[in-house]
Parts: sequence; structure tokens; C-alpha cells
Amino acid sequence: MTTATDVKAAETGTHKRRLMSNNDSMIFAGLVLFGILGPILFPNYTFQIAVLWLMVLFALTWDIMGGQMGYNSLGNIFFFGAGMYICAIVQVGLFTDVGAYTSVSGQGNFKFTPDQYYIGVAVGLVAAAIGSSLLAVALGWIVFGLRGPYFAIGTLGMALAAGELIGAWGWVGGGSGIPMPVYPGSGDGKSYFFYVLCFAAAIATFLFLKWLYSTQFGLAINAIRDDEGKAEAMGVHTLRHKTVAWAVSAFFLGIAGGLFGNMTGFIEPLEVAFPTITFGIFMVAMALLGGKGTIWGPVLGAILFHIVKEVTWTYFLGWQWVALGVIIIINIIYFQQGIVGWLQEKYPGWFGIEVDERARAEAPAKGAAQ
Amino acid sequence: MRHFTKWSLAAAATVAMMGTSQIAYAAADCKELILGSAISFTGKYSTNGIHAKRGYDIAVKKINETGGVKIGANCYKFSIKYYDDESTPARTAQLLERLIKQDSVKYFLGPYSSATTKAAAPVIEKYKIPMVEAEGASRSLFNKGYRYLFAVLSTSEQYLASSIALAAEIAKKNGKKPGDVKVAMAFEQDPFSLDVRAGVVDDIKKYGLKIVIDDKLPRDLSDMSATLTKVKALKPDLLLISGHSKGAVTAARQIKELNIKTPMIAITHCESGKIVSKFGASTNGFLCPTQWAETLSYKGEAFGSAADYDKLFKATYDGYKTVPYQAAQASAAVLVWKDAFERAGSLDTEKVRDAIAATNMKTFYGGIKFAPAGNNIAKPMVLRQIQNGEYKVVAPAKWASSKIEHPRMVK
Repeated sequence: MTTATDVKAAETGTHKRRLMSNNDSMIFAGLVLFGILGPILFPNYTFQIAVLWLMVLFALTWDIMGGQMGYNSLGNIFFFGAGMYICAIVQVGLFTDVGAYTSVSGQGNFKFTPDQYYIGVAVGLVAAAIGSSLLAVALGWIVFGLRGPYFAIGTLGMALAAGELIGAWGWVGGGSGIPMPVYPGSGDGKSYFFYVLCFAAAIATFLFLKWLYSTQFGLAINAIRDDEGKAEAMGVHTLRHKTVAWAVSAFFLGIAGGLFGNMTGFIEPLEVAFPTITFGIFMVAMALLGGKGTIWGPVLGAILFHIVKEVTWTYFLGWQWVALGVIIIINIIYFQQGIVGWLQEKYPGWFGIEVDERARAEAPAKGAAQ
Repeated sequence: MRHFTKWSLAAAATVAMMGTSQIAYAAADCKELILGSAISFTGKYSTNGIHAKRGYDIAVKKINETGGVKIGANCYKFSIKYYDDESTPARTAQLLERLIKQDSVKYFLGPYSSATTKAAAPVIEKYKIPMVEAEGASRSLFNKGYRYLFAVLSTSEQYLASSIALAAEIAKKNGKKPGDVKVAMAFEQDPFSLDVRAGVVDDIKKYGLKIVIDDKLPRDLSDMSATLTKVKALKPDLLLISGHSKGAVTAARQIKELNIKTPMIAITHCESGKIVSKFGASTNGFLCPTQWAETLSYKGEAFGSAADYDKLFKATYDGYKTVPYQAAQASAAVLVWKDAFERAGSLDTEKVRDAIAATNMKTFYGGIKFAPAGNNIAKPMVLRQIQNGEYKVVAPAKWASSKIEHPRMVK
């Protein structure tokens, strides 16, 4: 915690940093190359790589609040579920009656034409992104009065409540959920279609955040993390910054929800749309594993986490949760600053951080404390 | 810490080796034919996930021991590739993708629960790969026009509906008006229980009973005392509960603890929740719908009669006083696969799919014949009552072996 804070504070003060260093560009190019070649080289893993991109998106969007702004939200999964439901309702509602489509005993076999399908997905995703952002603005107004652990618990409650409320809402199928419209093309076609969308969403999130953190807005939310009272005293409009930060996170999570709902083919409130104990916790664990408060940390964390999860699921069936637990425990006890946080401290040059040795020498006590 | 990791790795390796040796055994003389299933070994459906897995396994073992599957001139032995879906539909879809794309599995057995089956159906439709499922009963599975989904069980609206007819009948006999019969109900929020509820509500309307409590069970199904407190206050004549095995266990436990005296109580999944051995005499008089009972006069190839299956299952697996129907229907699904493969005489998924659609067989589990929508229409649900710790069929009249005890004996 202190480490990441100090490094960041140092960057903005005695350290200088470019928007995208050579190392960054190279890693980024590698990632994009993997994104393009992945499904071509490993066509059978398309679905899992698509989920991998969503995981990257989860970790990155969690880090806006948790890493950069110091607000640990346990309820970001709310926007994932909200986006999923908004997208589904739009996809269905544009062409037929939602209540009839979702009813338990009714005739749910409405057939979507290809045009209706693609228009539905496109409009649905846009609506999911915007709708989730608006929800973030509205809810932010309520929960940003909370700080520290109270904020974490408050947001968690919000996500749990959302699952229960949707489960009681008959018009959207309640606990029975909504079967998503069927993709009009072949099985592999669907995999690739959503793969491309997931990949694009993750890359767009990364680039947008990379840019956002380089602006004054990035500095402002860092200031909120370091000392909210002081930031406010210095004229930062904290509520507005916090709200915008959350709305950004919700925007991309809403898209992710819309995509995941369509990929899964069936959505229901408790396990698919608002899975607080799986995706909701994974996004925190991934950001912490990679290193919160850095741009690459969440990306690396998400990739490692997803690979470990899939491998244990395949080869150590029944032990997957033990393996995940072990990772989280090691992470929390030995690597609090995460992998990238640790590397950044050890090899600052790799990250384009020019360490001012004189400044470091003048403050040895601080270094030792770390 | 390190010691623990080492130990867990060793254990995992052992498990993995056991898996391989099983497959090696199956391939000894006949070729191997792999069925795939993502099913719940962990999470809230794990109790029944494991019952279903045992049902699949015992049928595979039986078929392999009695000559395997004859397809044309070749002989095959079944084996099943499992993954754990953790009781969440989101995982089901991912695991089915993996089974199809990475493990090249082309024939599927279902997961446990309607919710996970609803997530499985779009994936198998997408890849045009047939699935015979035994544990997804919601009608919402069969009104989507799915071509590759077949279910051996009766649909869920039938589970508790017969208890409404019974309650109305008893009221009439006692000279009460149907409108005076008060019904309390609590259901899990999932596709299965909501469809059970829809069936019940239809019948309540038909008979003109009165609903006084209509509650939702919490998502983890671990507490329903709020509903039961209301039951104590409002004293309904009939209490209906559906929440899979975990819901049944919670209900039975708290009905005992809170000393609920409702004269008629109907709960789904009594057998698989093993409520009789857990809560003893307090469960006497509970009505439990079942897809199958060992006392029914069903008979078929492979397992013989329903009673034979019951005996074999109890001899194979420890700890079963009553064999849950979840296991029986899982075994029936494997029998459907064998029958369909042999009639199709081919491994082609389309040909096998058509053979499944044309299934018309008698088994220990009852008749199996699929409607065009894929659900089984050749077998009824029956209602059993727990009488002195034994499950006795009380409805419908055709299968009834005992008379219903009403009001139930409350100690």
C-alpha cells in the first residue's frame, strides 16, 4: 500500500515518466499480437482467451477505484450485471415483449432474424455502457459518503441486493433468468464474433486508462487516494472526480457484462449476472496479484490468475479453490504490492521511472521502512 | 504452509492417476466412447450433482460389464469426462465449450439443475451436438425449439401440483370450502423451483384455494425461519417448499426446531436431502414428489426392475437408505445413449441425434419417449409420503401403495 503510493507520488514529483515508454510499447505490441494470433493459433481455446480479455478488463476497471483512487469497491460486479441485464432487455425488447419472452410457462421461442440479432447486440452494448455509467453516477451520490472498509461493505451490499432485486422482478424472468437470443451463424462464428468484441473492449479499456492516468484527472484521483481531505482542501472537487472515475469503470464493465451474457447464452441474477463471490472477488484478487495502482499490474495479474485457474480446473479438479486460496494468501502475506509493484521498486528503470538517486539518498529512512 | 501444498499436490496427482487408470481399464478390449458432462461437485447443488454422477457411473459400469455398446460391427465401452461446474451456469457454458473444442467430446450427459442445463442448451445447439440430460426439469428448457436437448425426466410444474389436488380433495371430505384452505409456500429463486411454483399456482387457481404466504428462499438456502415464523402465526393448511436438496434439509431442520404443526407439508428433494435419516420422526407425514420409486413396477434391459436397480445401487455406494431419483434418472440417460447408438449404428452426431429423438424404450426408470420439444412424456411423477420413516406412494391412485395420513402425525 505505502509502496505503491510512494512510487506514484515520487513519479509525479522527483521522477519523470513518458506516456508510453519503449518497454511499454513493446509489451503492448506483444499483447495485441497475442490477441490477434491467439485464436488463429489455438482455435480451440477461443472462448477461454475471450474470457481472459474480460478478466483483464475486470482487473483494469477495478484498479481505477481500488488502485488509483484508494477506494476498494467490492461491488463493481454490480455494473457487470447491470450491463448484462440492460443489454439483454434491449436485445429482446427491441423486437418482442420482454415479459412474454421471459415467462416461465409461456412461449419463449421467439426467433430473431440475423439483422435483429446484430442490431440488438450493437444497441444493447451501447445501452449497457451508458446505462451502467448512469447507475454509477446515481449510486455514487449515495455511497461516496462512505470511506475505507465502510465503502467496501456498502458496495458489496449493493451488488448482493441487486441480485436479489432482479431475482424478484418477474418481468425480466426473476430467478429463472433470460435465455439470450441465439447467434444466427455457426458455432465457431459466434466464438470469433464475441472474441473480437472482448479483445477490442479490453484493449480500448487499457488505452483509455493509460491516457486517463496521464492527465490531470489521473493526478487528482491519486491525490484523493493519498489524502482525500488534503486534496479537497487544495481545491480538487473530490465527489465529482470520484463519480467520474466510477462511471468510467462502470462504462467498460457494462460492455463486459453485455458481452459475457451473450457468450454464456443464458443469464440469471445470482450466479451469472451478479456473481459476487467469483468474478466480484476475482477482479480484486487479480489487481492485487499483479500490483494495484499500476497500469500493467492488473493486466499481468489477470493473465496469471486466469491461467492458474484454468489449469487447476483441468488437471486438479476439486483442488481449484485450494490453489486459488493459496495464491491469494501468498499474495497478501508476501507480495502486498503485487508483482508489478515489486518489480517497479526493484527495477524502476524498466518502467521509465528515472530515480533521482540524490533524493533517495536524502530519505534513506523512508526506503528502509519499505 | 509448504507441507500443506506438497500434500495437496500429491493428493491431486493421485486423483489424476486414478482417472487415467479408469480409462485404461475401459479401453481393454473394446474401443472407448467418451461422453462428457460438466456437473456440480461443489456449490449448492453438489449433493445432487454427486448423486447424479453416481447414477452415470453405475450405468456406465453396468453397460461396460455386460458387453458394452455395439455400433455396427464394433464394440465400444463408455467412459465419462467430467468437469465441476461449481453449481453456476456461467461455468457450465465455459466448460461445455472446453469439452467440445479441446476434449473433442461429441456426446453429452446433462449437468445437475435446470439453471445449469439452461446454460448448457445454447452451447450444444450452437455446435449441433446432442445431450441427453436427466436433471433439468424446468419447462422453460422445452419451449425454445432446441433440437439437440433431450430429457428423461418429467417437467417441474408436475412436482407439487398433485399435492394441491390432494388438499382440495381432503378439504371437500372434511366439509370445508376450497376457499378456506390456506396455502403457504416458499421457493428458491431458480428456474426449477419457479417452474414448480408456476405449476402450483395454476392448480391453486383451478381448485380455488387461498395463498396466504408466498415467500422466496434466500440464495444460499440456509435459513427459512422468517417464513416459518409467519407459518406459526397464520396457521396454513398446506405448506409447500422447493429448494433442491439443501432447501429440503433446511426446511426439515427448521420445521423440527420451530415445531411447525401444519397438517400437510410437501417438499421437493426429500430423498436426496436424506431428511429421514437426519431428522427422524419429525419428518413423518411429509409429502415428497419423486420422478421414480423403487416400488414401481418398471422393468427394462441392463438393470432389470426398479427394485433390482435399488439393490445394486445400495450395494455399490454406502450410506443410502433410499436411492434418490436423481441417481436413477442419471442412469436412465446413459441407457438412452446406449440404445440410440445401437439403433443408429453410427457415431455420426446427426444420425445419433435422430435415433435419440425416435427413442421408445422401457427401463427400470419407466418409459422413455421424447416429445418433439425433447421432454419425456412416457412417465408420470408420483407423490410419496414419509410414513414411519418409509417412503410410501400415495398419489396418483394408479401407483398408490398406501393411503395418505392426514393430518400428519406431529410429535
